[in-house]
Amino acid sequence: MRRFSRFGRVIIYILLLALSVFYLLPIYSLLNTSLKPESELAKAPIKPVNNPTLSAYKKAFARIKGNLWNSVVMTASATALSSLLGCMAGYIFAKYKFTGSSIIFFVIIVGFYIAPQSILIPLVKFIGSLGLYNSIFGLILTHTAYGIPITTLLFYNYIKPIPESLIEIAQIDGASVLQIFTRIIIPLSLPGFAVVGIFQFTNIWNEFLFGLTLTSGAGSQPVTVAVANLKGTTVAAWNVHMAGATISIIPVLLIYIFFLRLVIKGLLLGSVKE
Amino acid sequence: MKKSIQIGLFLLPAILLILIFVYSFAGWSAWASFMSWEGLGGFGHFVGLKNYIDLFTQDFAFQKGLVNTLILSGAFIGITIPLGLINAILLDLGIKGKKFFRLIFLIPLSFSFVVSATMWVWMFAPKTGTINNLLRLLNLGFLTQPWLTSSSQSMLGLIIIYIWQFSGFATLVYYAGISSVKQDILEAAKVDGASLLQKYLRIIIPLQKTPTFTILFLLLMYSLRVFDLVWLTTGGGPGYSSEILATYMWRVSFNRNLFADGAAIGFVMFVLSALIAIPFVVKMRGSA
Repeated sequence: MRRFSRFGRVIIYILLLALSVFYLLPIYSLLNTSLKPESELAKAPIKPVNNPTLSAYKKAFARIKGNLWNSVVMTASATALSSLLGCMAGYIFAKYKFTGSSIIFFVIIVGFYIAPQSILIPLVKFIGSLGLYNSIFGLILTHTAYGIPITTLLFYNYIKPIPESLIEIAQIDGASVLQIFTRIIIPLSLPGFAVVGIFQFTNIWNEFLFGLTLTSGAGSQPVTVAVANLKGTTVAAWNVHMAGATISIIPVLLIYIFFLRLVIKGLLLGSVKE
Repeated sequence: MKKSIQIGLFLLPAILLILIFVYSFAGWSAWASFMSWEGLGGFGHFVGLKNYIDLFTQDFAFQKGLVNTLILSGAFIGITIPLGLINAILLDLGIKGKKFFRLIFLIPLSFSFVVSATMWVWMFAPKTGTINNLLRLLNLGFLTQPWLTSSSQSMLGLIIIYIWQFSGFATLVYYAGISSVKQDILEAAKVDGASLLQKYLRIIIPLQKTPTFTILFLLLMYSLRVFDLVWLTTGGGPGYSSEILATYMWRVSFNRNLFADGAAIGFVMFVLSALIAIPFVVKMRGSA
């Protein structure tokens, strides 16, 4: 900061402070309200909680714990499946050229950019015809399928720089496509799995539209839908709603705090040209 | 086993799932949008473009949704792009606590839209909300607003929420873009006696074309598809004042069960996403 005059420094910190208030005020409101007992709710929401209590958290947790588990199962399964399938496809596109390969690659990648509303009605009908409406398996299948474009793109970017010579040597030794995949590609793209896994985990955990449209009862709903349903009609329920919301973002928040570097890498690999 | 068969087997699951879940479904939506809808009787007969003509000439809510989608995209992206650039430059200045501020700028990205919606409804609540409460506390009570509950301000509220949610992404991409400016260019400028302001205005910002393009297209994509952030805050209201295509599609399809109209709106959204995506993917792939 030596480069700045005192005036410059003051301006910079005022800007940083104003921006921090903008980004943090809603989060402060969320946590503050979630810790309030009902008696304090009607009072000024900006005022820090007087007698913090976890009672709203207990109530919220009791109502969404089944949904948290649904989200864990759904997110873990769909993340693993879409990462594996994306790795397989990304590997082929990165390392084998054949007629039409770039067109097929393009056709797969474009799937990421298609608004889900344009496939929503047939999706509901299709999942229903498989007997998977209102089932966690329907959501796993859906998230796996719609995860493939981006996992393919991410793994393509990751696998592309692996030297061709490694693959050629293995081919001379008679290794098959599968053997090259399991012995060279997977071990060398383990960091890629961390990046893609985190990217998929955060997206699927936070997803709402498919969860809302493909389920009807609390039994199979993911936690995002359950939290939305916590919204009460009275002020009294707001602390519970806020507590439930806070609980629901803990996994993703922890990932951001502890693996920010990998999160950033995933977001950039998925959007910025390498 | 022949190599081509092995390659085929590796690609089969991905291709099959994408063909079914993306292209056959989009095709189905296109087909359904040309049919009449008989309620419980399902799809009736071929009606050509009738559903589309009705949407564009008679359906006030659809037109409002289309216009609002454009206004929301334009306004929030128009602010998010310069804001992201400012955030990124602030982080690039070498200030103390850089990592801390970077986390603050990026944390909204981690919030699910459901949680953001929950927070912002509470922020904007006219009587019990944080913002109006803060204004009253600062003796600025005359500035309190009805926010999301008023049909003249609901869009403004959404724009603020979208900026909060997405500016971290713009920050991130610009920060990477600024960091990748070659050190020797900056050294040369320093030798030539360029001031700090000149360094950013003359060198760094003009080199941010690709990041700007990336942010623009990805935010366009999001503003077309994001549903929860509107559905759970204004619900498209009051009236249809903040209805966007994503919410109107859901309302028509799953509240009113009008599948032919829902499919037509969905297909309009398919065309819009393709118009956004294809130049982006071509540019990204083409220069890779």
